[in-house]
Amino acid sequence: MRDQLDVVPDAILAGRAADGDTAAFESLARRYGPHMRAAARRLTGSYADADDVVQEVLVQAWQQLDTLREPAAVKGWLLRLTGSRSIDLLRRRRNHASLAAADGDAPADTVSPEAGPEAAAVAGAGLESLKAALSALPEEQRRCWILKEINGQSYEEIARTLNISPASVRGRLARARTTLVREMEDWR
Amino acid sequence: MSMPNDTFECGHTIEELSLYLDTGEFPDPAHLESCPECRNGLDSLRRLAAAGGELFASDLAAAGSGNDDWMKDILANLALELRPGRSIPLRSDDPADTLSETEGSILALVRSVADSLPGAVAGKVRLDGDVTVPGSPVAVRLDLAVLFGHALMPSAASLRQDLAEALARHTELNIAAIDITITDVIEAPREEK
Repeated sequence: MRDQLDVVPDAILAGRAADGDTAAFESLARRYGPHMRAAARRLTGSYADADDVVQEVLVQAWQQLDTLREPAAVKGWLLRLTGSRSIDLLRRRRNHASLAAADGDAPADTVSPEAGPEAAAVAGAGLESLKAALSALPEEQRRCWILKEINGQSYEEIARTLNISPASVRGRLARARTTLVREMEDWR
Repeated sequence: MSMPNDTFECGHTIEELSLYLDTGEFPDPAHLESCPECRNGLDSLRRLAAAGGELFASDLAAAGSGNDDWMKDILANLALELRPGRSIPLRSDDPADTLSETEGSILALVRSVADSLPGAVAGKVRLDGDVTVPGSPVAVRLDLAVLFGHALMPSAASLRQDLAEALARHTELNIAAIDITITDVIEAPREEK
């Protein structure tokens, strides 16, 4: 049965999970957990935080699954929850940090001193230079870019997640992309 | 430098091109065919989008599989609470006893009967009708996925029979109808879209 659950469409699993079937819910979690973890880690900067986020999202998803109007859209819903929870965690952490010490957010990939353009050119140039450029972006632009490109969220969804207007999302995304393109093309 | 700060000489902006890539909307689509600056800008943005796709693939691979220990730990910590649903009264011989079963247990019964049919996997199950009032007519509505290669109609017919028997045996519901909707035919093992 477990094998069968792993091959059925999302809507079947989401429908069963909303009815209280924990096995179907766990199958959904296994199916989209890696994407949720990857997105949360890219946003929060660590797997420890990402795993906390994924767990919080799954608890919330279990409680709210019966409110999901379109069960087939469960993947996007889980990723939106993941984005929101990750942003919440970053805000909590910043509030905490500003009380204790001005530490700031830790991006997922800080550039180590020796990892300059030369190192990047050797090891998958595009990917490494993108990671470095991304970690150097202003925080709000970085969040917009990740929610768009890694979480696959729409402008309106990103706007709701970040509590800004869709026009601001458009602007920040464009500025993020401009900077990323420039950084990456400088390194080619 | 192929990306200016904001506005190209033609008057269009990176923001417009960025929006165009995401939505296909642009004030003057024909312009994009002829303007070398805009075309360069679009090329750069497309290369960035491809790099973004690579980053996602690399992050996804690094995150591991849903069968790894990190997910097992998370699932072990979830402690999902039960969803009992409505309370369905049962007859009792002694008037002092109040007996009932939960809607959730009946949904689980329907799922397990459907799942036991070769090639069938139950989806959402609904009990339409006032199950809290003994004897009121109830329609069972069931979504069903069927694995490719299994006959649909005989499956549905024999499933309806099995469900009627199981519900008669384990519940006191007045089953007026059993509606089975085959929502999916599953062709092959699937992966994340």
